[in-house]
Amino acid sequence: MAEAVNEDLNLVVAASLSLKDGDTCFVGIGIPSLAAMLAKHSHAPGLVLIYESGAVDADPAIPPLSTGSPCIPDSALMIGDCLDVFGDLQAGRIDVGLLSAAQVDRFGNLNSTVIGDYRSPKLRLVGSGGAHDIASLAPKTIILMPHQPRRFVAFVDFVTSPGTTDWEGRPHPRRENTGPSELVTGRGRFSFAGGVLTLAETFAPFARADALEGFPFEVEADAGFREEVVLPAEHLALATKLSG
Amino acid sequence: MPAAAGEAIKSKLVPLAEAIGEHLPDGATVFVGGFGHAVPFAAAHEFIRQGKRDLTLCRSGTDILFDQAIAAGCVSKVIFGYIGNPGVGLSHAFNRALAAGTLEIEEWTNFSIVLRLHAARLGVPFLPADILRAGDIGGASIDVHSVTCPYTGQELSAIPALRPDVALIHAQRADEAGNIQFWGIDGDTREGALAAETVIVTVEEIVPADVVAAEPGRNILPAHRVAAVSLAAGGAHPSYVQDYYGRDDAHYSEYDRISRQAEELAAYLDTYVYGVADRAGYLALFDDQRIESLGLGDKEA
Repeated sequence: MAEAVNEDLNLVVAASLSLKDGDTCFVGIGIPSLAAMLAKHSHAPGLVLIYESGAVDADPAIPPLSTGSPCIPDSALMIGDCLDVFGDLQAGRIDVGLLSAAQVDRFGNLNSTVIGDYRSPKLRLVGSGGAHDIASLAPKTIILMPHQPRRFVAFVDFVTSPGTTDWEGRPHPRRENTGPSELVTGRGRFSFAGGVLTLAETFAPFARADALEGFPFEVEADAGFREEVVLPAEHLALATKLSG
Repeated sequence: MPAAAGEAIKSKLVPLAEAIGEHLPDGATVFVGGFGHAVPFAAAHEFIRQGKRDLTLCRSGTDILFDQAIAAGCVSKVIFGYIGNPGVGLSHAFNRALAAGTLEIEEWTNFSIVLRLHAARLGVPFLPADILRAGDIGGASIDVHSVTCPYTGQELSAIPALRPDVALIHAQRADEAGNIQFWGIDGDTREGALAAETVIVTVEEIVPADVVAAEPGRNILPAHRVAAVSLAAGGAHPSYVQDYYGRDDAHYSEYDRISRQAEELAAYLDTYVYGVADRAGYLALFDDQRIESLGLGDKEA
């Protein structure tokens, strides 16, 4: 069933569809960048890509390796600095943030700091960068995660970027009207409308059970749950091209 | 270089070894410029060669420069928002030093590091921000205190100023007096430079004063804020310099492989840092094809 499907492309396409023409979008490196590039080159030509390095309205020709990589300034309409773009983010002038991470839990908490204990980790990762700041300040945060069961945990080892609540269900102290808005994998789209992860739709050919395969927690389906949504072929083709 | 009649220009131009030797003491807190762009590798390799010790290195998003300085034993503490090999992976020497317990860390976020530098630049002890109120970063390696706005009652985090002793900056060009011209991705480079007590700059080119004066909009640092300027053409390789040369992505990938093993990384430092006297010697280690494909040879002094 799933063999012929490129889940990475599904993920990029599905996330891109959440970005609207005219949105301003704070973009991280990797899959988030590809999703934003795809949206800009298809249904949202007026999407404004903003990178933490200070580049505003970028249109990178290739997926950038870092937010300071040459393809970003070479295509940006303005090169500001970190203070410009994080300042705009905090001032509420950026609509949406795109993030990925090593681990996510059902509260949308993200970990990009350590696997294991902070003081003696099994694996030390790169840390927040701007991820914590985006998750704390963006009106909407879209989380992009490949469907790899090890990434989905009951509770993250370290809360780098706060989701809706902590382990005991206490709301994180945070600005109103911020937090994770949805999570996209290569198999499905999830929402956080009720504060915890719920399944909104799956992408063909994946059924509900496929989208939840290997998850260590129960996930309810949304009231308007849609199964095996067909992603647009033009987007999939363009995503292939942009991935290089 | 011609000066105005009857007036001698005070030159800040010195060889890099002298700039580092005189202005970067052991134990200093050092801001490292370069947000992916114009990372000051020549200056870092020089302080490694000089055997500087007990340094605290800081910036928001680090580059493999941090990893090399840690591997060389120059660093006792890092203050950062992100530490890794950008677009490639982890910072392996950093991870080994952490595991060995030989390195202290202060782990923030990129925005909070920018605010820490900005506070120092503004000469205030902290800036309020609506971050670090939730999650595990506060309390892990740092304490983040809160502050209540006296006007609105809003609870915010008080992000403390970070005033580096020294900033190392790489830029496109300067005049002998030390007026620095820089363009392209800045990130937090200018924040860090203006926050620091002492600024050491390396440049691709030294140009006549009238070239700098003709385009004051490109100046990011005036001469009176600069302690020393040194010529280091190619000084940001393997990162890049806007309008001068490209980023050597392959070198970052090679470094990932090499730095996974302490012995291989030691051999790398022997070759690329200890084994050469200066940047010209470093660049001579790369074959002509790579130098040419990056555009590194074009503007050598």
